[in-house]
This record gives sequence, C-alpha cells and structure tokens, in this order.
Amino acid sequence: MTTLVLVSHPHLADSTSQQFLKASLPANEDIIWEHIESQPTLDVAKEQDQLRHADRIILQFPLYWYAAPAGLKQWEDTVLTRTFVYGDHRYPLADKELGIVVTTGMPGKAFQRGGAEQITLDAALAPLAAVAERAKMTWLPIFAIHQFAYLEEPEKLQLVVDYQRYLTQEQPDSLGDRQAWFAERLPEMIKQLPPEQQATGRLIEAEFAQQKDDIDALADTLSLIKEQEDD
Amino acid sequence: MTEHSQWLQLQIDKLAEQQGKFTDRAFWLALAELVREQERRSDQLRGEVDGRTWRPDRW
Repeated sequence: MTTLVLVSHPHLADSTSQQFLKASLPANEDIIWEHIESQPTLDVAKEQDQLRHADRIILQFPLYWYAAPAGLKQWEDTVLTRTFVYGDHRYPLADKELGIVVTTGMPGKAFQRGGAEQITLDAALAPLAAVAERAKMTWLPIFAIHQFAYLEEPEKLQLVVDYQRYLTQEQPDSLGDRQAWFAERLPEMIKQLPPEQQATGRLIEAEFAQQKDDIDALADTLSLIKEQEDD
Repeated sequence: MTEHSQWLQLQIDKLAEQQGKFTDRAFWLALAELVREQERRSDQLRGEVDGRTWRPDRW
C-alpha cells in the first residue's frame, strides 16, 4: 500500500509534534512524505500524480481556528481542480482513503457540545469530508493528537505505533487487522534484533501467532453454536 | 491473566526495555498491549462459548 502524507504547517521546524511524527514514520514502507509549505511553487501535475498513485492520502496539520492552516487550503484550491477531481465523470481519487491527522492545543474533551470548544472535530473538518465525498473517496476516522506537549513517555510510545498503524494498517481498526499488522512486521523487527535477543523475538512471535489461532478457533466454535441455535 | 500470559508479557517487556531506538521500543510495547487484548478477547469468547453451551432446557 502506498501512503501519501501531506503535512501543512507554516513553521514545521518549530513544531515538536510534527518533528515527532516525522521521526515516527514507519521504515520499510511505501510512504511519500511532503511538506506543503516547503514547496517553492505547487507543481500541480506532480501533486496530482502523487495523489493518483497513493492508496491512502493523509492530510496532517495543526488545527487553526477550527480548520487546517491556510497552506492546505491553498494546496486544495490549486491542486484539486474540478477537472481532476470529478470532471468528465472520471474520478481518479475514487476508493482511495482519506485520513486526517490533526493536532490540537486543547484536550479531546473540549471538542464536543458543552465542551470548551463547543464543536466536534468531525463538525469542524466537515469541509474536508465533503471533498472526500465529492471525490468518491473513503473517509477514515480522524486521528487527533491533543496537547502533545503534555504527553508522558508511555503515551508518546503508544502514539508512535498508533500513528504508524493509521498510516499503513487496513481499516477498520479491528483486533483482526491489528493482529495482521503486527504479524506482517514481526519478522523484520526480529531480524533487526541483536543476535542474543532473536530467540526471544521468535518465541514471542510464535506465542502471538498461537494466541491469534486460539481466538480464530473460538470464534469459529461460537459461530457454529449460534448457527445451531438458529435452527 | 494466566501464568503463561504473564510470562509472555514479561518476555516482551524485557525485550522492549533492551531496545535503544525509541520507535523499536514503541513497537514491542504496543505488541505487549495487543497480547493483553488477545488475552481479554480469548477470555470473553471462552465465556460466551460456555454460556451458550450451558442450556438447561436441553438437559
């Protein structure tokens, strides 16, 4: 799967959260990362080509006044031309997934009716969802990072993998999909371990696979029981 | 949590601790969390199988 990450931030170098996310990008994966504001001019043909080739497109930005920074809007207005998105009833972005990674200075609980911001992120970012709808894309649940500066180390460690999974894991985010994502990456992770740790790595991999098989077998038994109950 | 899964958790946590790279540590710790989730799901499924099998009306 090819994932295109388009980052919009007017001062990227000063953003600790954006630098953290950049350092968290999964290695050995097909990921194209681009900072919109770093482009001297937007090369429309190149941008559209990148979009055509991606399976999942991620728009990543800090929330400014309940919206994306101006750079992203400028990118939309320049790159997403009518002809490209839906002209002549060709939909080159159809069935691609559109994901949003948004950072906010306020806590998650602020983004609800009755909360400090009185608006949900889904409502604030509805214009982007409308673009996805128009382009016949699949909208992914928003990946929000609230108050990055307040995160403690365990939360940051968790964020690394949650972010990687948002970029590269099959959706919806079910236990089955999570298991498959880890199973796919385990062999490479074990290979990277120092030789004295590799046996432990392989043992963990085997146990993990066994647990997955046990769950599958139980789920099969259960559906058999349910089938008989229906009779 | 069974003794076996406690042992597995310990192995993963130990391996995570030994990783110098932040993103590698993150991977193993997230795997430990997923293994805990597997354990919970197994317990729940086993419970549901037991519950549905125990049918006094069919005694």
